[in-house]
Amino acid sequence: MTDQDNPRAEMHRLDPRLLEILVCPLTKGRLEYNRETQELVSSSARLAYPIRDGIPIMLPEEARRLD
Amino acid sequence: MVQTASGRDEDTHFGFSTVSLGEKQGMVDEVFHKVARRYDLMNDLMSAGLHRAWKDALVSALRPPKQGPFDLLDVAGGTGDISFRVLEAASSQARATVCDINGDMLAVGRERAPAKIADRLTFVEGNAEDLPFPDKSFDAYTIAFGIRNVPRIDKALSEAKRVLKRGGHFLCLEFSHVDVPGFDRIYDFYSFNLVPPMGRLVTGDAQPYQYLVESIRQFPEPDRFAAMMRDAGFANVTHRPMTGGIVRLHSGWSI
Repeated sequence: MTDQDNPRAEMHRLDPRLLEILVCPLTKGRLEYNRETQELVSSSARLAYPIRDGIPIMLPEEARRLD
Repeated sequence: MVQTASGRDEDTHFGFSTVSLGEKQGMVDEVFHKVARRYDLMNDLMSAGLHRAWKDALVSALRPPKQGPFDLLDVAGGTGDISFRVLEAASSQARATVCDINGDMLAVGRERAPAKIADRLTFVEGNAEDLPFPDKSFDAYTIAFGIRNVPRIDKALSEAKRVLKRGGHFLCLEFSHVDVPGFDRIYDFYSFNLVPPMGRLVTGDAQPYQYLVESIRQFPEPDRFAAMMRDAGFANVTHRPMTGGIVRLHSGWSI
């Protein structure tokens, strides 16, 4: 599990192109951007992938499990 | 559920050691974490600058278009060597996505991205075996000195095929097997006796470079790798040696 409380997250703007080109690596389903938590959410895999310093971490082992 | 005959993880190579597939990724991550900052300096030293010529040859083979859009996916390309070259050679509408499993290597690439191409570069941390991109989304897929570090090469190849558009080009640069008599012995001596100490001198640690020389020997022979590419669905599969076979450029098409 990863630390979601990143106070500096807002400093990094997400490249809008990322949402166009990224899918969930497990399900290949679409992702939703959660600006508050700085995560890309795959509802099909029930996983939230973190964005750190503007770089999305598309690794299931780094993702937060959604219950 | 049917279990595997051995009842445990399949095995793969980590250099000359046999490790489980699950373990290999963590060990590879550790190697690149250690060397990220000095990766390119070590490449220059160890290849006597030749890695630049090999990468240039890959870009020439790719023939990036001078006009119109072009989408490159560069896998394991963290430090940006290939993507920077392609964007500098291609039209101003070309874009590159750099995907690497190692955050340290990506950080180096993003820092070093030349300003004039930075807005056409995207950095993503991801796994070559499970790419976070839709089907048929790229015109080209490149992987330079990366595929031998992937635990399941067949899985990486089928993912490469999946994300390429019809007509998309797959290019892979990888160390190979020296096939020039005499030169093979010099190369062996150099690899096993000089590279690890050189690595220790520059990065403070010989172990990553011991892994490097061992992993090169474990990589499938060129024809075997070509067969794996065909199994993944690539057509017109070819390979050609460079510098006496130290390195080989593998090419295939998605049709």
